Amino acid sequence: MKKKIKYSLIIGWLYPELMSTYGDRGNIISLSKRCEWRDIDIEIRKLEIGFKIKDLIECNILFMGGAQDKQQEIVSTDLTKDKINSISKMIENNIPGLYICGAYQLLGKYYKKADGDIIQGLKIFDIYTENLEINAKRLVGDIIINPTIDDLKSNTLVGFENHGGRTYLGNNISPLGIVTFGFGNNGIDKTEGAIYKNSFGTYFHGPILPKNPHLADLIIKKALEIKYHKIIKLIPLDDSLEFEAHNYILNKLNH
Amino acid sequence: MNSCIILICKLISIISKNLNLGNGSTWPGHIALKINKNFIKELIDSNRQLKVIIIAGTNGKTTTSSLIANIISDNGSKVLQNMSGANLLNGIASTLLLNSNINGEISAKFAIFEIDENSLSIILQFIIPHQLIFLNLFRDQLDRYGEVNSIAKKWSTTLENISSNTKIILNADDPRIAWLGMSIFIKNHAINDKSEKKIFYFGLDNPKLSIDLLQHASDSTYCPRCETKLNYKTIYYSHIGNWNCSKCNLKRPDLDTSTSLIYPLNGIYNQYNTNAAVLSAKILGIESKKINSTLKKFKPAFGRQEVIIIEGKKIQLFLSKNPTSMNQSLSTIRDLGGKHILFVLNNQIPDGRDISWIWDVDFEIYLNDSMNIYTSGDRCYDMSLRLKYLQPNIGNIITNKNIKNTIKILLNKIPDNEIIYILPTYSAMLEVRKILTGKKIL
Repeated sequence: MKKKIKYSLIIGWLYPELMSTYGDRGNIISLSKRCEWRDIDIEIRKLEIGFKIKDLIECNILFMGGAQDKQQEIVSTDLTKDKINSISKMIENNIPGLYICGAYQLLGKYYKKADGDIIQGLKIFDIYTENLEINAKRLVGDIIINPTIDDLKSNTLVGFENHGGRTYLGNNISPLGIVTFGFGNNGIDKTEGAIYKNSFGTYFHGPILPKNPHLADLIIKKALEIKYHKIIKLIPLDDSLEFEAHNYILNKLNH
Repeated sequence: MNSCIILICKLISIISKNLNLGNGSTWPGHIALKINKNFIKELIDSNRQLKVIIIAGTNGKTTTSSLIANIISDNGSKVLQNMSGANLLNGIASTLLLNSNINGEISAKFAIFEIDENSLSIILQFIIPHQLIFLNLFRDQLDRYGEVNSIAKKWSTTLENISSNTKIILNADDPRIAWLGMSIFIKNHAINDKSEKKIFYFGLDNPKLSIDLLQHASDSTYCPRCETKLNYKTIYYSHIGNWNCSKCNLKRPDLDTSTSLIYPLNGIYNQYNTNAAVLSAKILGIESKKINSTLKKFKPAFGRQEVIIIEGKKIQLFLSKNPTSMNQSLSTIRDLGGKHILFVLNNQIPDGRDISWIWDVDFEIYLNDSMNIYTSGDRCYDMSLRLKYLQPNIGNIITNKNIKNTIKILLNKIPDNEIIYILPTYSAMLEVRKILTGKKIL
């Protein structure tokens, strides 16, 4: 009998201590439990301030959450040119990643603050973010989108957004989905989030993955395919509770 | 004019109570302020004997208010208090007018107001408090309050103009709260120059109660002055403990009160609430003996470890409204050997619409396989989902959106001598209490 390979993955969690405000660690919990239930070995590698590049580049999935402004400044000073280049190379090489809110903005070209100051981004995503007025309304509330990519099209994505910045997509990047309820990237053009190669940027808190297990599984599947160079079919799990929580949002908002 | 306002608003309150439109705890104040925006200031100014104590903080406001109110009233002074749901400007106005006669005379000597985090600076425009107490600052309802740092900043700006007649009582163990006191001490000459002490600190000094690691939902673990990561000699919970900064040498200020002979409620968080109340009472000149006799017979405020007996069975409510309060409730229930636990998760306006905070709670430390766990409330599926993803798994969780039915099932199931612990969010707590006692609160 052919011996089954035991799959294993390393999730690189960028700045868990600083970049984790709105229950974002739920995404790490979702990814790791869904691997564990399928007997995929999982290591959660915390990449805190001062992390080594060699620890980063071994990761098969990257994750970075949102943060308070002050925390984000501390992170920016830790992201040296070499670190940025390594992350950029991983994203270009199709390493899957999930970047929430502040992290999503950080991957873009720049963030223009309400006072006109411009904070440079990592320039990996073709997006930019602006926060034009000092007292501009934050975009807060439940959100529902229809995903744009085929792998996710069978289901909506639901979550909770809470952001001041308005993000605009360039020509070299697609939205994660089209907003059917809520605000999304900027409250105007109906786009929400961004997909570049296998990297996902989004304003969804909630956290996004537990109630959207199809997105969690897509990230796991892509990570295994990149690591093991073959088509992977994940063992299906019982997601009835996940979709009860998902559908609660749809029903409440009459979707 | 205020006499007219008081008369009209008292009538409105009586009518709204009789028509069962709620108990009228914010409506009358809303109308009074519409007619006269200085209503609060004028009423307080005309009652010179009235000393106002204001309590701010994310968690523990209601318990601390209740402790102080009981101590003062047992000591022989009449006290008025706002209800915990009426903690905005209109709630304060309502409380004052309902406690005054038609001439605007208030017979109470003390008013104890717990104040919503975002309303503090507005309320201080109208009231010069005798004491201002800051309990703590944790992440809570981020969709409504914003991030912890932005509230700390607001409070700090407010304090720059505080009257030199106000005594400020601060939790020294919460770095950002302590810094409020340390930074105004540096800036404000009015506070600095007088020989009388204006700033007081409470905290804990009991390393035996220390936990080893910072909990996940810790917010203020960086030095409030230089942003370096703080060191802790002891951590009591969340980011609360004996802290110091290795870079700029800022450290926890010396404590004026660090212990009480009697702690009437379980849980470390209630030791802080008690120490805050004891320090407040001591500053008012109340003797320790009298303070302790009140503490000995203290009954918890509604929903805060309140015990309700129903069909001969004991139910205890632990209001759990944000990661820190949930962690603290669970830690206390675990230490009490709790076996039957019901989480009731709502996300109505008073709870905050965003429930992502449940993923910041360290359930795995406190729950285990031998417990019977139930979830209910509007967002029970999200709650059960959170618990499904615990590491290690904790077995079967029973999910039922209907709170009343869930409580019935639990009451039928458990033996007479065991306790049902209910952990509700704020609106869920009101619903649960209404079911259990048949009384509506707000």
